[in-house]
Amino acid sequence: MSSLEAIVRELRKAARRALGARYAAHALVGAVAWVAAVMILVRLVPFERRAELAVLGIPVALAIAAAAWLIRRPSAALLMAMADIRLGLKERLSTAWERRAESGPLDDAQRHDAVQHAARASLPAAFPVRVNRGEATLVAILAIFALALALLPNPMDQVLAQRQADRVSQARAAKAVADAKKKIADSGKPSPKDAQIQKILQDAQAKIHEADSPRKALESITPAEQQLQKLADPGTPALQSSAQNLANALSGTGAGRSAAQAISTNPAKGAQSVRDLASQLQSLSPKDREELAKALAKASQQAQNSQMRDSLSKASSSLQSGDAASAAQALNDVASQLDSLQEQENTDQAVAAAINGLEAARQGLAAQADRDANGQGGQANAGASPSAGASGNGNGTGNGTGNGTGNGNGTGNGTGTGGTGGTGGTGGTGGTGGTGSNGSGTGSGSGAASTERIYVPGQPVPGQSENDPTPLGPGQDVPLSPYTQVIEAYQQAALDATDQSLIPGSERDLVREYFSQLGEPRAAK
Amino acid sequence: MIAEEPRVDATRVTELAQSLETELARLIVGQKALLRDTVIALTAGGHVLLEGVPGLGKTVLVRSLGQTLSMSFSRIQFTPDLMPADIVGTNIIGDTDGRREFHYQAGPIFANLVLADEINRATPKTQSALLEAMQERTVTVGTQTRPLPSPFFVLATQNPIELEGTYPLPEAQLDRFFFKILVPFPSEGDLLEIARRTTGDSTPQLKSVADAGAILTAQRTAREVPIAEHVLRYAARLVSATHPDRSELDSVRRYVRWGASPRGLQTLVLAGKVRALLEGRYNVAFDDLNSVAQPALRHRIFLQFEAEADGITADRIISEILEHTAKEPASK
Repeated sequence: MSSLEAIVRELRKAARRALGARYAAHALVGAVAWVAAVMILVRLVPFERRAELAVLGIPVALAIAAAAWLIRRPSAALLMAMADIRLGLKERLSTAWERRAESGPLDDAQRHDAVQHAARASLPAAFPVRVNRGEATLVAILAIFALALALLPNPMDQVLAQRQADRVSQARAAKAVADAKKKIADSGKPSPKDAQIQKILQDAQAKIHEADSPRKALESITPAEQQLQKLADPGTPALQSSAQNLANALSGTGAGRSAAQAISTNPAKGAQSVRDLASQLQSLSPKDREELAKALAKASQQAQNSQMRDSLSKASSSLQSGDAASAAQALNDVASQLDSLQEQENTDQAVAAAINGLEAARQGLAAQADRDANGQGGQANAGASPSAGASGNGNGTGNGTGNGTGNGNGTGNGTGTGGTGGTGGTGGTGGTGGTGSNGSGTGSGSGAASTERIYVPGQPVPGQSENDPTPLGPGQDVPLSPYTQVIEAYQQAALDATDQSLIPGSERDLVREYFSQLGEPRAAK
Repeated sequence: MIAEEPRVDATRVTELAQSLETELARLIVGQKALLRDTVIALTAGGHVLLEGVPGLGKTVLVRSLGQTLSMSFSRIQFTPDLMPADIVGTNIIGDTDGRREFHYQAGPIFANLVLADEINRATPKTQSALLEAMQERTVTVGTQTRPLPSPFFVLATQNPIELEGTYPLPEAQLDRFFFKILVPFPSEGDLLEIARRTTGDSTPQLKSVADAGAILTAQRTAREVPIAEHVLRYAARLVSATHPDRSELDSVRRYVRWGASPRGLQTLVLAGKVRALLEGRYNVAFDDLNSVAQPALRHRIFLQFEAEADGITADRIISEILEHTAKEPASK
């Protein structure tokens, strides 16, 4: 019995060695197959951590093989039977083991015979440690295959490099936005809209950072800029002009000279100086008062801001009528408007700084997006490239200027040539009695990624400041302006936009050519 | 109190078999497989059907076996007019002390070793007279059943090429034979030796090497040889594989009409045990079963007519089964 158990122990040891070698070979096959599979996969799918992924399979394969090796413990009966077959022991060992507890007439003799024959045989030879030739060949083939795949140029490398460049570009753009935020925060000229500006920049920064590509990131810039532009007060230029006119008028007076200098320097200082002047009105000589009243009246006439005009007019008339108190009150109103101007200027500066930051971000992103488009052999711009024979379908909102009677506001669906500046719907149906023929709108073609909209500023309507932005946008009424007056601005805006947008050079030429053709009949006229 | 198991000396069986083979080989030239199979059947207590063309020494072999064993031997020449009573005996009227009464006159079947020569020449009725004797080892005449001497060993011969006036043994009769041994034609060397031995002025005289007691002891010993479970399962798979509805072999499904009976499995295992002893082993090996499969199963596999037409023999079917049946190792 004990001899049989010793035989089993020896066989088990040999079997574990043999199985260990076999599972190690299996693990090697699995690991090399994994590496080869990863090498194939990374040629089909861009994957950055390919080395880590490939290496990951090796310990996994080894662990699985080790676990299988530990779990699989052949039974003693199986070991004996296999030893019988492999050592030619004619089922002596398996019979002896199976009947190890039996006491039949021949069982003792049979066990003795089995042990004797086992002693003469080399038991470990029943479970030799050997490498399967098929597995070895497979490992060699897979290894060569994987090595070849690793060494040969991978088409996905370019994609990965592009992704890396995209990320760098987006990070730089986000940093540019962050720099703008910091600059605004550190400017020392707080404005009441700083919080909103910071919020807009923060959102834009996050979108740029999270965008899938520079192209997508670019799409978040224009809305942010539009939000910022809405924060700027459209009345600031008029107020600035009025303040400057006031300074010019006061500079010719003895009492108001210092106030004029202060207004020219800075609206806040100007406001303080005007308040000082208001407080000194009582002590002014009648001549100075008259001189001051005339200057204020002149400034009032030149003022483009209605409140400023009213206050200056009231101050002038009060001085002329000798009502110093009312004049002082009116000048204090002017001072308040100068304070307001200071705040507006601060806001405008912050908005400008923010837009500059966004523009800086746009430049970098646009350059990278251009590189991406070129690097993909024009595939990304297939719809935008005329040479590709494809044309993008643009849904543009056309604001047409009709030659007929009436105002034509049409929403046209046009076929654009892709990219920014796709020609919008010609002939948007106008209002009652008017057909907005020859209306030109801006459309975004589906073949082009950029969806930037270009609005052409029209001529100011009566009563509106020249600096007031024209209220434009989908569904809004726009002032009618003669074509010849707006085409240059339109051309300039379009060309500026093409310079900043993701449009191939050939497309830019197309836009220029378009305006050149428009210009010919104008010149002929 | 538990009776102690009598100690079995398996080596004596091996020696007995070797002595028999050696002694028979003095007269029978070559034919080692024939001698080995005959000795295996004798040691296992089974009957043998010897098939071969005339002149190959079938009858000589059986007669020689009778000479080497100190046992009663009788020879029955089967002819078409042989009657059952000529084999098993009959009741005859005799005169005993002036009274006439029936006496049983035992037939030639009452011997330890019976040679049924050219068994397929007798009518089926006569052939069937052997059925009870071979299976039950008793003979019933009239209303009285009488036991046959032990050991009882029938060696029948038949000629495969003579079809005129022959009656092929029915399946049930064939199944009673432990082995069907084909007697091959001797090789050229053996032919020369046969000529030398039998055409001189002296013929070898065989001596007795065993008696009935030794044979019975050997038969009991052989049954004690252990067989492992997975080896036994292999034997069962071999037998199952001869059945067309269980086999995965196309040849079996196509050519075999009936497969081997459970008696075939018994024969296979028992013959394997004897062969193991003759090989000096105390357990049955796969090789033992493979070695005895042909004589044990060939007369238990009944082929379709298509097999005969295609020249397919039972031996070929068995060879295919042996080739394709897996020797699964022990599972626990």
